[in-house]
Parts: sequence; structure tokens; C-alpha cells
Amino acid sequence: MSSEPTYGRFGSGKSVRRLEDPTLVTGTGRYVDDVELPGQTHLVFVRSQYAHAKINSVDSSAALEMPGVIAVFSGADLVAAGVNPLPAQGMFKRPDGSAPTSPPRRAIAHEVTRFVGEPVAAVIAQTREQAKAASEAVYVDYEELPVVADLNGALAADAPLVWEPAGSNVVARNNHGDKAASDAAFAKAAHVVSMHIENQRLAPAPMEPRGVLADFDEKSGRITITMSTQMPTGVRNTLCDEILKIPKESVRVTVGDVGGGFGMKTGIYPEDAAVAWCARELRRPVKWIAERGEEFLSAVHGRGMQSDAELALDAQGKILALRVRTQANVGAYATPTGCAIQLLIGPWVSTSIYDIPAIDFTLDAVITNNAPTGAYRGAGRPEAIYNIERLLDLAARRTGIAQEEIRRRNMISPAQMPYRNAMGQTYDSGQFESVMNQGLKLADWDGFEARAAESKARGKLRGRGIATFLEWTGGNALEERVTLTVSGDGYIEIFSATQAMGQGIVTTYAQLAVDVFGVPIDKIRVLQGDTDRGTGFGSAGSRSLFTGGSAVKAASVKAVDAARQMAADALEASAEDLEYADGKFRIAGTDREMDLFEVAGRQPDGRVYIDSTTAVQAPSWPNGCHIAEVEVDPDTGVVEVVDYASVNDVGRVVNPMIVRGQLEGGAVQGIGQALCEQIVYDPQSGQCLTASFLDYTLPRVDAAATRFKTELDESTPCLTNPLGVKGVGELGTIGATPTVVNAVVDALDRAGRLEQALQMQMPLTPERVWQALSGSAS
Amino acid sequence: MTNIKLKVNGRDVQQDVENQLLLVDLLRDRLKLTGTHVGCDTSQCGACTVLLDGRAVRSCTMLAAQADGTEVTTVEGLAPEGGLHPLQQAFIDCHGLQCGFCTPGFVMSAASLLAQNPSPSDEEIRHALEGNLCRCTGYVNIVEAVREAAASMNGK
Repeated sequence: MSSEPTYGRFGSGKSVRRLEDPTLVTGTGRYVDDVELPGQTHLVFVRSQYAHAKINSVDSSAALEMPGVIAVFSGADLVAAGVNPLPAQGMFKRPDGSAPTSPPRRAIAHEVTRFVGEPVAAVIAQTREQAKAASEAVYVDYEELPVVADLNGALAADAPLVWEPAGSNVVARNNHGDKAASDAAFAKAAHVVSMHIENQRLAPAPMEPRGVLADFDEKSGRITITMSTQMPTGVRNTLCDEILKIPKESVRVTVGDVGGGFGMKTGIYPEDAAVAWCARELRRPVKWIAERGEEFLSAVHGRGMQSDAELALDAQGKILALRVRTQANVGAYATPTGCAIQLLIGPWVSTSIYDIPAIDFTLDAVITNNAPTGAYRGAGRPEAIYNIERLLDLAARRTGIAQEEIRRRNMISPAQMPYRNAMGQTYDSGQFESVMNQGLKLADWDGFEARAAESKARGKLRGRGIATFLEWTGGNALEERVTLTVSGDGYIEIFSATQAMGQGIVTTYAQLAVDVFGVPIDKIRVLQGDTDRGTGFGSAGSRSLFTGGSAVKAASVKAVDAARQMAADALEASAEDLEYADGKFRIAGTDREMDLFEVAGRQPDGRVYIDSTTAVQAPSWPNGCHIAEVEVDPDTGVVEVVDYASVNDVGRVVNPMIVRGQLEGGAVQGIGQALCEQIVYDPQSGQCLTASFLDYTLPRVDAAATRFKTELDESTPCLTNPLGVKGVGELGTIGATPTVVNAVVDALDRAGRLEQALQMQMPLTPERVWQALSGSAS
Repeated sequence: MTNIKLKVNGRDVQQDVENQLLLVDLLRDRLKLTGTHVGCDTSQCGACTVLLDGRAVRSCTMLAAQADGTEVTTVEGLAPEGGLHPLQQAFIDCHGLQCGFCTPGFVMSAASLLAQNPSPSDEEIRHALEGNLCRCTGYVNIVEAVREAAASMNGK
């Protein structure tokens, strides 16, 4: 009997429909606000109305009188109870070489508040409405302090200090490279290109706001938390080890469905700790769900830095050196993540796919009275790639070397792999020129002039932009543990501590399991989100497939191997004589066989159980060529992204549909940064002026009018993990921003307004584009 | 307090509600229909979209009392018993969702569109969905899903 195994249709390489979806499209998902515990109370935070102020007192007497109110806690209450601050960054010294110092960041602010929206009190009541009403009756006696409202305000000669002990608002500095070598290269360069580049502060804005539901069980003394997070283990560990100083076993963090994260939900927030503490204190379940305004004010912001960046090139356009001076506005508290992103992680890819021998970077973390920054899709790499691709675009215009040619002349070649870049990072694989050639073809690069003429006939200015780039993935967390059960009841259960937030982990892991087990995909159950069942780094840095997926594959192989021996025993054969296919072990050359699940059912506990930890060797380096064509309306300055073509090397592809979704969804976020998104603080008061979707412009459905052409080049598998895959989650976002900005600059250059275009900073709103085209901007 | 009588997903509901109770809170907290989501506080995102007498409304911007005497349909009530509405199937087939948080709102907005305009152009689809925000998908597959659902519902 021979039959085509049908399970191959659900294995790797296929656009399998997502297992997650039937639940989600019918509204039966379980996001944290969908969970209700008996006796549940509701917490609302009172938040600072000032960017910088002393908190002289918190008067809760009126609030406590109001209907349904159970308790009101201030920062002082938590300090008195021994609650410790969140960890501050300790990795990077100050510019003068002295040890890091940063204001203490408390679960609820105490004595001083340092940004508008910082929690200053917590009100717990029977219902959310009651808590909200009572929160407005809490009287906080503020005494305003001088405000450092933005980066320029922080760096000014007479700037007030956010944190006196630091003596400056520049609280951390990192240098990279060889200044002498770089200076020498600049001195002899035939061309020098310099730009002042602003990478504006953004709101990650996942559609589901943050939420935490915490409960305390007196008998066991355990706090159980259900929350919307990408990193349940990290939250648990920081809460236990640093903030509450209790054993890790006394906290369990579980995660249901997460409505988007994008990095905003990595790491613990003050609110998370406050809710957990309140639940323990009150011995009641306490639920906090953020309103959107709270998210804009107090969830981490992304990006938020400025660079003076320069390229030194020889007469042929070969880059001799890259020099960058960056100041990053990390907000009021220098967090470990916020600082590492700008001082270390982004810089790792500053030289990108180019063979640049000399670098000279000085990178500063600056504190201000703004919300703290953290990870947001790309986390440092968008900023670095934006700098180099803007510089190269300008270098092409200044030297007269074509855009694709100047990149070609600088690209690392396959013969140079593995390639160690000037930041000491090693790329295992990449065929950058091949990817670009494919991109140029996909975008019909050579046919641009005809399209530009057609646009012109309709009164539009057409421009094209290109970015060729790579990125770093993995979070430097290269190990992942999986527990896998083959049950005699006829299913395979896989637990992974990576965390789904929309990126299709469950389906992708199930496909990898189908590859090994050869059983129908509906027999595979992928579970996540419970620190009692398994712990790990969680999902960030586009790591879940190449680290988590590698671990799933390894555990699956181990399970089949273990079951093989068990089957051999049951069939009274030797393991070497057994073949495994389509869920069955068969003695070769006979028809004596045993189904995998039957093998499991015969075991003492009715299952085959594997606990397997796998480490991949290195980060993966996905890369791509992105090309956009825009049309600019000269009367209004409105920019439309008409075409967006990309060729992407993400190594082997498990689910092409999901991978394209990551690339295109990510690209629209990158386009949002290019054209319309920005967090703005009032330069005097430090009030956030963009704290709603009315003022903060997210891309809307008209983004779907862009003609996306998204290709996946699988010819260059990753050499440092067993799957050969490269992370994809952030690649689209990183590429889209410089691609689209370069296209707008191109459109304006063709209209004779290059110098004006170069004065523009993101977002390239219609007003800014119109000013560059028609205004008196010079 | 007001006593209201309405139909939700075909079932009769009668409740005493505070005058200021929002329709979304009636649905989520009282009736435990948590498929309708709250994504913002300024009526911008559309995650709370339900059908009121067949037309899309933002349930966060309506009082429950305003729904007295009406028929409300939420995402839980869209499909035939145990099955999937063509829109829901199309969202799955076209990868029109990632995290799923905005999806019920999009599905209900699209249902309202297709009830009024069974063969919308892409431009009409985009116009109808202007009031719904998505952060994950970039919208391309959402528009494709609505296009496919329309075709499927027209018997193509």
C-alpha cells in the first residue's frame, strides 16, 4: 500500500491557515480584560499632571468616602511596606567614566514625579467606574519643579537637572570604534556626507492596552498574575528578585491572548508591580486595564533620538569611515532596555551590509521629564539603518553615483562570510548583492522614468527610494526549553515559553512538529504563557522561530527517538529495524506496525515526555532590499506610497503567509514613522500633546492602497540554527522607514528641491513636504 | 436607572441599567460577550463596533439605554450556529488577522458594509473601514478578506 502522506500539506513551507484564528474571529479569545475572578476588584491609577514636581502629600480622605472604594495607596505606602524600585541601568558609565546613576523608579511615585502620567496613587474599588470616580477625588499636593521637556532642553547649557546626583542630564555614554582611524579616513576622503538626523519618539500602540489581573492566595502565599505581556518570566523574576524580594516560587504569571506587543509589553512596568502588591495587600483579586490615554502617557515609547552622522568616501564612493554622535532621549528613568537599545544594540548594525573599515561612535543616553523609552519593533536597529541608508542616499546624490551602484560598491560579498563587522558582530550568511538585484527587478527599477512621466501627467511628483540592509535578531537569548508530551489519548502537547502576540507561533510550531511526527496538524497543541509550566526569555527581538522553533524541532526528534525504543520493545524488534513515517513505527519489510499514540499509551504514565533545551549558535541576520515609489501632491504635500516592493532573505520559510504578514504589517508601521507618527511634548510644560488616536496619527486602511510585492529568497539559509531560519518580525519595519523617506527626497530632488528636502525630519507630514516644495524653507 | 429591553444576538435581554452605562459595558460586563473590545477612549479605533439594527455603531460611544428596543448583533452572533460567517472564514483564509484584537470590530464593520453594498469596490471597502484601526496587519489582507467574503456571499 502506498499513499501520499497528506500531512506534508501542513508541514514547513506551506501557507497553513492559522490554528489561532477560529477562536479569534468568533470573539472567543481570552485577552486579560475578558478574564473575571470571583470577588474581583478594580484598580485605577491617579497619574501625575506635571512633568516634574515634588509630591508633598497625597490626600485620599475624600476618595475613601466614596461608594465602593476599598483602598487608596500612595507611593509612601509602598515604600513603608518595603517595596523596592524597579532596576535602573547599570551597564553604561557616565561620560566622565563615573558609575551610572539614575532616579529611583518606583511602582508608585514617591516624593517626586518625573513625567506626566507617572502613577502617583492607586485607587481600588468594587467597580471600575467607582475607582475612576474616586481617583478624581484624590488630592495630590504637587510643587512644580523646573521641567526638562525634550532633548534640546536637556542638553542646553543652563538646563535644569532631572536627577541632581548625576550632575548632568547625560547619564550614560558608550563609545565604539577607533577615533584616530576614523579621523584619518575623513581627512583623506574624496567626499564627506553629513546629516543631522532625528528619529522621532513613537508610541508602539498595540490595539490591546496593557492589563494586569492579580490574585493572592493566603493558604499558599502565592500571587497569581494574568497579564498582557511578551515576557512572563522576566516580569516574575524582576517582581520577585528586585521589587518585592520574595522567592520566585511565590509568584505565577500566566498569559492568555495578547492583543499586540511590538516590544511595548516586554519587561515589568511599575503598574504591574503595584497591582501585584495591592492584590497581596488586600487579599482580593485586583484588575487594572489601561485606558488608551494612559498608554500614550506611560507605556514605553520607541525611538526618540537624534544623530549627527557622517560618511567618509573615496572617489569611487567606497565608504572609508562612519562617524556618529547620538543623543537618545531615554525619558525620566534610564532603564536597562532603553539605554541598551541606543548605546549597544542598534549600533551593532550601524555598518549594515557594507564593508566599512573604520567607525567612530559616541552614543549618549539623556534623561528628560518624558515617559521612559523601551523596545519598539526594531529597537535600535531602525535608527541605525535609517542613518546609514539616508547617508548613502545622499552620498549617491552628491557624487552622482547611482543609488544601486553606490550600494553595490560597498556591499559585503558572499566570499567574505562569515564577516565580522566593525562592532565585533559576525554575520554567518548573506547574499546582499543578489537580493538587491532581485529587488531591482521586482520593482522594475529601470521602468521608473515612464511611471514618473505618467504621474506627472496627473499632476503628481513621483519619487523612488531604496534601502538595502540587514538586522540583528535573537535578543541575545539563544537558548530555549521545550517540554513535549505525546499522549496515549491521541495528541501531542508542546509547551514553549516564547509568547504569542499575533505573530503565529502556535501554527508555525505545529508545522514544525508535523514535519517530524507526520501526524495531522490538529493533533498538535502548542501551549504558552505559564511560568509554572515553563520559563524562558519570552518573545522579543524576532527570536521565537529560530530559537523557539529550533527547540520545538529538537524536542520532537527526541520524542520520536524515545518512542522508537519503546515501540521496539513493544514489537519485540530492535530499534534499528524500525521505520517511522506518518505517525507509525513499522518493522522494515513487514506490515507489523504500531501507531505513535499507541506506543505512548502503553507507557507507565500513558505518555512519552520530553524535556529538552536547545541553544542555537548565534543571532540570525535577516536582510532585504526594499524599494518604494511614492506620489507627492504638490498642492497639498500629501504623500502616497504607491508601490512597495521587497525581496527578503529570512532564510528558510516555515509559513510563507505568516512571514509575508509580518513583513507587510511591519512595513506599514515603518511607513507610519516615515509619514505620520510622532509623540510630541510641549516644550515648556512637558505635557504630552499626542495622547490619543485623535492626535497621534496611526496609519489607517488607506495604507492598503499601496501595491505590495513581497518576495522571500530562501537561497541563503541561516547557518547557525538547525532550522536555517532567520527572524522576520521586525525586518519590514526597519526597511520601510528609510525606503519611503528616500523616495520622498527623490521626488523633491526631481522637482529641484533637494536642499529643502534635506531639511525635513520625520514624520514627513503634508505640511512639512509642502513647505519643502513650496514654502520659503531654504 | 432605566429598564431596557432589547435583543442581543437574537436573544431577548431585559436589564436595569445605570443611565451612564455604555453599550460596550452592557455587552462585555453584564452579558459576558467579551468578543467586543475596547481599544481607545476617544472613539477612534473601532474595536468596539457592533451592529445596531444591522448597521455598524461604536458601542463605546453609545449608552446602553440608547439601545432600548433595538436588535444588537455582536461578533459572537454573526455566524450560523456552530459555523463561520463568510467574513470570518475569509479573514482566516486571507490572513486578515494577527493578534485578533481589532478583528471583531473589522468583521462587524465589514458585515454592515456588505449588507448595504454587496459588491463594493476596493475603494468602497477602504472607505467603509476608515474607522477601524489595526496595528498588526497593515490592512492589505483585511481588504482582501472583505473582497473575498463579498464574492463568496454573492455565490462566486
